[in-house]
Amino acid sequence: MMGISSNKIMQDTGHRAGVKDILIRLSGAGLLLALGLYFMIGGLNLGLGSPFRPGTGAFPFFSALLLMGLALGILWQDLQQDGLADRPDWISFLAIGAALSVFALVTERFGLLPAVFLTVLTASAPDRSLPWWGKAALGLFMAGLSYVLFIEALGLPFKAIRGI
Amino acid sequence: MDVLANFSAGLATVLQPETLMYCFIGVFLGTFIGVLPGVGSMAAIAMILPLSFYLEPTVAIVMIAGVYYGAEYGGSIASILMNIPGTPSSSITCIDGYPMARQGRAGVALFVTSIASFGGGMIGMIVMAVLSPSLARLALQFGPAEYFAVIFLGLIAASAVSNGGALRGIAMVVAGLMLSTVGIDLTTGDLRFTLGVPELRDGVHLVIVAMGLFGVGELITSIRANREGRGRQEIDYAKFYPSAREWRASWGPIWRGGLIGSFFGALPGTGQTVASAVGYAVEKKVSKNKDQFGKGAVEGVAVPESANNSATQTAFIPTLTLGVPGSASMAMVIGALMIHGITPGPRILTEHTELFWGLVASFLVGNVLLLILNIPLIGLWVRLLQIPYRLMYPAIIVLICIGVYSLNNNVFDIWMTLLFGVAGYLMRLYRFEPAPLLIGFVLGPMMEEQLRRALLLSRGDPMVFLERPISGGLLAISALILIYGLWVTLRPRRNITTDDTSIIQNNKPSSNTGASS
Repeated sequence: MMGISSNKIMQDTGHRAGVKDILIRLSGAGLLLALGLYFMIGGLNLGLGSPFRPGTGAFPFFSALLLMGLALGILWQDLQQDGLADRPDWISFLAIGAALSVFALVTERFGLLPAVFLTVLTASAPDRSLPWWGKAALGLFMAGLSYVLFIEALGLPFKAIRGI
Repeated sequence: MDVLANFSAGLATVLQPETLMYCFIGVFLGTFIGVLPGVGSMAAIAMILPLSFYLEPTVAIVMIAGVYYGAEYGGSIASILMNIPGTPSSSITCIDGYPMARQGRAGVALFVTSIASFGGGMIGMIVMAVLSPSLARLALQFGPAEYFAVIFLGLIAASAVSNGGALRGIAMVVAGLMLSTVGIDLTTGDLRFTLGVPELRDGVHLVIVAMGLFGVGELITSIRANREGRGRQEIDYAKFYPSAREWRASWGPIWRGGLIGSFFGALPGTGQTVASAVGYAVEKKVSKNKDQFGKGAVEGVAVPESANNSATQTAFIPTLTLGVPGSASMAMVIGALMIHGITPGPRILTEHTELFWGLVASFLVGNVLLLILNIPLIGLWVRLLQIPYRLMYPAIIVLICIGVYSLNNNVFDIWMTLLFGVAGYLMRLYRFEPAPLLIGFVLGPMMEEQLRRALLLSRGDPMVFLERPISGGLLAISALILIYGLWVTLRPRRNITTDDTSIIQNNKPSSNTGASS
């Protein structure tokens, strides 16, 4: 029941795929092919050894070979499909990506609490239903909670604020 | 008698104040995280894993198990109240749970869920206590070829019947196997695919892969689902306790679901989804109340919940006794054990008796805690679901960041999590399941090691895998599952009716966490 693809439903309800949909759909198998190629070349360079004593590169090489074969099968399968491809949700994608980046950039320079505060602000930035003071209040609340939970209660070796 | 004596010793371990406290924390946090729409048991375990590093192995594994079944139960709450199953196994509960909620019987559905989960959990625990020692004795006769074959079977079973189809599932397993080769080759000491980055010498940490694929990936997906308004439904909580008729109608399904679940849970790769689905199908056949199924039948909630929780417990049987996880969550359990220096396998019963029987006994204690906690807290979970998701997801992302950063106090881990988060999101977009990748990632090093050993012992003769009866038999079963999976994927599809489409749309999981999560 759950395995029936949304593409098939789209097809039955009359939506047709454009070139962009086809490209989006095929790019999944394309990425797998590229990944397989990278590990295959890497495996070859590491050395395949012999059946008696397989080399360092044997396992990744043969896994990559199998992956590339499977990727070709998936490519063929996806070519048979019609209908609209799922489109990426760029807003959520960028907000969460930026939030993680902010945490990574801020935490070692300024400490955990500023990092948590700015991470919350960044993650919730695209949400227009929450006013700026609501986002700031949520950030402050999470920073306080992180301090109590992770630094005070669990004693994790984090610096709350650098320089203090 | 041995089983009873060992179980009593395990119970004494779990009832130590520290273990009991962490069991409670695990069950509570698991339920809390599982209730959040779009966050399944995998993400819950990934979030709690860094904390477990600071604990004794037995305490850590008891807490992780508590998080696991707590989150599975929590996922059912979101399924019933909001029709957003976090995992495919919860989607079966939606079929009757959500109509019950719409009829003003949400309280009854949640109450029955608690009782059925408890009943199923107890049946699963008994099956695990009785079966595990025999399976472990059998596994002591295994050599490298048998281990390779059983790992192979686990990988094929987990991938060939996955939601995205056999080709996609197997491709993800293979990608996981490849990813597991990053870092130092333990046999030769050579570096593989580290790109000159010193942090990659020890490979990619399991928590990073899991947090990225499941935590970050699911989060991006569920923000969209919540922005589009799925899940904000008006529910009437007027009625809380089941009537006498509903009690009577629930007992049979709880027993049947528990037995079906314990069977399917113990098979690698099938897990809770198949257990819930088969339990539901069987109940629909045998019930006197067939025509009410899909319209709010209490049996339709009791049976998948019992089967789900029973399978959750018995999934530990192959995980601990063979070292082969049947699901991504179990792969995380194996990873957690290995981080504590414990290698799962048949010797775990003799070398880590306290841990094994402590875990079995913790199922009893944990399920009692789940029951005590959740009957009075149903109102709290319901109110938690009323908190807007826009306040939830920034908090979840903070927990993920801190959890990952606490591994090594190194921001490189955050960048890697971001990378795997992007990969996890793309996988959902391209209809690939992340769960088989994680299973492949965990089993990869073991598989490579056993393969090398078997070839070394047989002087490079690959026929060793087919000539030995257990190994040959397991590979034959793998081949059958593979053929079946490919047949299901590649056969011509039947035409879809309007009814099918509405069922899919009504029961679509908020995120694709995999058939075996």
